[in-house]
Amino acid sequence: MTSMRRFMASPTRNSKALCLAGTALLAALAFFSLFCGKYPLTLSGLLGGDAMQWRVFWTLRFSRTAVGVIGGFALGVAGFVYQTVFRNPLASPDVIGVSSGASAGAAAGILFLSGAAAVTAAAFAGALAAVCLALALSSLDRSGRRSTIVLAGIAVHSLAQTALMALKLTADPERELASIEYWIMGSLNGISGYAVGGNLALCAVCAAALFALHRQILLLSAEEGEAKLLGVSVGRLRLAVLGAATLAVACVVSLSGLISFIGLLAPHGARLLTRRNGPGTMLLGGLLGGALLVGADILARTAAATELPVSIFTSLLGAPFLIYLIARGRRDV
Amino acid sequence: MSFFSVQGLCAGYAGRRVLQDVSFTLEPGCLTGVLGANGSGKTTLLKAVGGILPHAGRCTLQGAALEGLSPRRLAAVCGYIPQRSGIGIDISALDVVLMGFNPALGLLERPSAAMRARAAAALAEVGLGGREQENYLHLSEGQKQLCILARTLAAPRRLLLLDEPESALDFHHRYRMLALLRGWVRGGERAALAALHDPALALNGCDRLLVLADGGVRAVLDPARNALPVLQAQLAALYGRISLHRLRGADGREQLVMLKEEDPA
Amino acid sequence: MRLKKCTAALLALGMALSLAACGAQPAESAPAAAPAATEAPATPETTETEKAAEPAEEAGEGAVVLDPDGQFYAEVPAAAETVYPVTLTDQAGREVTLEAEPQTLVSGYYISTSLLVALGQQDKLVGIEAKADTRPIYARSAPELLELPSVGTAKEFDLEGCAALDPDLVVLPLKLESAVEPLEALGIDVLLVDPEDQERLNAAAALLGTATNAQDRANELLAFTEMQQGRLTGLLAGAERPTVYLAGNSDFLSTAGGGMYQSGMIELAGGENVAADITEDYWATVSYEQILAWDPEYIVLASDAGYTVGDVLADPNLAGCTAVENGHVLQIPGDAEAWDSPVPGGILGSVWLSGALHPELAIDGENMEIINDFYETFYGFTYQEF
Repeated sequence: MTSMRRFMASPTRNSKALCLAGTALLAALAFFSLFCGKYPLTLSGLLGGDAMQWRVFWTLRFSRTAVGVIGGFALGVAGFVYQTVFRNPLASPDVIGVSSGASAGAAAGILFLSGAAAVTAAAFAGALAAVCLALALSSLDRSGRRSTIVLAGIAVHSLAQTALMALKLTADPERELASIEYWIMGSLNGISGYAVGGNLALCAVCAAALFALHRQILLLSAEEGEAKLLGVSVGRLRLAVLGAATLAVACVVSLSGLISFIGLLAPHGARLLTRRNGPGTMLLGGLLGGALLVGADILARTAAATELPVSIFTSLLGAPFLIYLIARGRRDV
Repeated sequence: MSFFSVQGLCAGYAGRRVLQDVSFTLEPGCLTGVLGANGSGKTTLLKAVGGILPHAGRCTLQGAALEGLSPRRLAAVCGYIPQRSGIGIDISALDVVLMGFNPALGLLERPSAAMRARAAAALAEVGLGGREQENYLHLSEGQKQLCILARTLAAPRRLLLLDEPESALDFHHRYRMLALLRGWVRGGERAALAALHDPALALNGCDRLLVLADGGVRAVLDPARNALPVLQAQLAALYGRISLHRLRGADGREQLVMLKEEDPA
Repeated sequence: MRLKKCTAALLALGMALSLAACGAQPAESAPAAAPAATEAPATPETTETEKAAEPAEEAGEGAVVLDPDGQFYAEVPAAAETVYPVTLTDQAGREVTLEAEPQTLVSGYYISTSLLVALGQQDKLVGIEAKADTRPIYARSAPELLELPSVGTAKEFDLEGCAALDPDLVVLPLKLESAVEPLEALGIDVLLVDPEDQERLNAAAALLGTATNAQDRANELLAFTEMQQGRLTGLLAGAERPTVYLAGNSDFLSTAGGGMYQSGMIELAGGENVAADITEDYWATVSYEQILAWDPEYIVLASDAGYTVGDVLADPNLAGCTAVENGHVLQIPGDAEAWDSPVPGGILGSVWLSGALHPELAIDGENMEIINDFYETFYGFTYQEF
């Protein structure tokens, strides 16, 4: 028990080893994801240069897996950032209205535009508009209080929810309403290599920026006055960091619809495993997020004859994992 | 020109003015304690000087105004220890100390090996040697204060603002901390302003005492030189009836002892 | 051929029987009206009286025109006048007694509204469901419906608005069951219908026909459907059955599983629904991969699809799919109404699709005549003039 305790409290908590394990898990799931789905891909067909099989592999299977990996990773990292900056373990992108903004945008896209790409663009615009509005509102209060941004977020969230409700009310139940409901449940179905490039690239840039700013993100967890006298331009830095995190989330959500729980669970899992908030923890949070989303998506596309919403499985896989970590944590401390 | 001066400082919260026209100066190499009853404005004074609270008046360090400096430039000359650090995440003690080097680092820069060594040394200095990798949140309140002190002392600063840095420390560590602070201010062109919880500590550890009352500076005391009745009268205004005595310890050093006398009914 | 004829006749017989069973239930009508009620029972299989033969002949004529070979026909059973008071069992299993022939009607569901129009009751309607302007069939057959007050949607029923119209009879979908009690408390009769598949649509037609004293029209409508079912089954008996992917209204990736109305429509039109193995009874979501794995010969878009045939043909994710390669992507016409839903004219979806799936039979022209005939007979407009 004492050796166990030492292990738990030990400084680096083997965060390198954990990150390696996380990478291996994600890589294994991603590999598995490439070879499971409804279209019968065969190794001989692919090696034999079957054009149809290659097309399915690249434009559908590979891009779906890539969105799972990068999207889940970004959600995990963004969750880490939100929880740290808001010093709130329950903080998530929803705090500043990005999910509801994206939903309202997607609903508007489904109602007034046509084509999957247009809906993606509309969801992205909605997410971005919500975030800009929340950050702009919060900057009206110059005291730099952390709570201001949360309050502004709640206001924007309600506003977006109202817009969503109004849009749903006007939606044709047979046609658009079904699409909106399905979108809100989240799915990687329908993602194809023709539409994801820009989103994924932007997402990767944001995630990279967040890693580069990791030290600053930790400084933001200090009290405002304290952070200021540690040389942090609190307001500006917070805007930049939240902006990058939210942008990453908007990129993912506009492709996939709402995906529950990953942004909350992945960073908690990483923290419970490492007991730290270092860059390794942030990385592990991303890896866990990616693994969770890819794993959930594999189930979503294979569990039934039809495509199921991925959020069902992110929660289904995630909740027991979190409970296990909490129970284990209690024993060790 | 004095090392650090505060002129006509007014500050408060949401329309309630706590400090009115406060002026004083600090000399280099001088540890100044701030004494005052609860609500007399000790924290307000420190926050206003540190630029955390908006205020009127001027704070001048070596001829340069602190107001209007960017957080980065301000933090490079002025360190601050809040009553309680807001750090609420799992992070190592060493990483907490390394935060102190932030003003010297670029946005994306990481602390150098030299900084890490200095940080570790600072931790050892405050008595947390060998505990660099421990989780800050698992430290006791007193150890947290020592860790924050190490953060403040590790990086170069010229002015320190400390808000009851000893409130959670035990008897031994209080004196150790004050000794560290005295050692620090003597080490160069530096000054420290510390709101202290414990008047006995302030009387025996500080070079000057700033007595705050009624929104202003009631007196500036020199506990080593002022006559006992003068000190006693000023402190009685804060603490009610007290008596002060100079006693000699076993090491022959003279110390001030304050006793609480019964207040008139 | 004779066998088919017999089958059709038998089917008609069975249908008439079921009609008598589930629609009118005059035996249970109020005892006060006993002498009249004994006359009322619709026993079409026996009472081929001169009086009732007239509408039958009319429909029979139609059948002959449509089907020169005279191979397929359905008999229109003789209908009786409804004798009030009449006690009916609606599709929620409730017993409702109508004291007199309703003179003012409210319909809260587009299918029941279409049915009432087909039964010739449009002049009695004083209120209908919301969004009537999205139903071209109203504008073409009974434009006055567009001016009627709305009583809301299946989600948000306007109880007060409905009561304010003071109708003799309100027809609501099963979903609005909760509105029954308050309306009955106001002394308004309510019939619940549940026309979610062909069988239940037939039952709804019979129910409303009896309730509004339009049994003859109801029988004609049922006979038409019956006849087309028989005709298609016969025509396509030996034909190849191409595979069909039906793309739903909300999304190209949503499709109708084997349990859905739309799947039956494809089967009747001589196609094979690729998603028949999916047992869900609501729109199911599938992936591009799944569609490519099915590789359907035809892709058929639902009438109200929010995307176009062009969108599907241009979708790079479907490159290589047989239907797309051959340009076999079509949309069920929605010029009058959505044929892929259990509306009174829903059978026309199969009629139209059979021509598209079976060019070898060259029955497009014949199908068009049938479609025209249907709308002329029941809705009073010529489909092709649109």
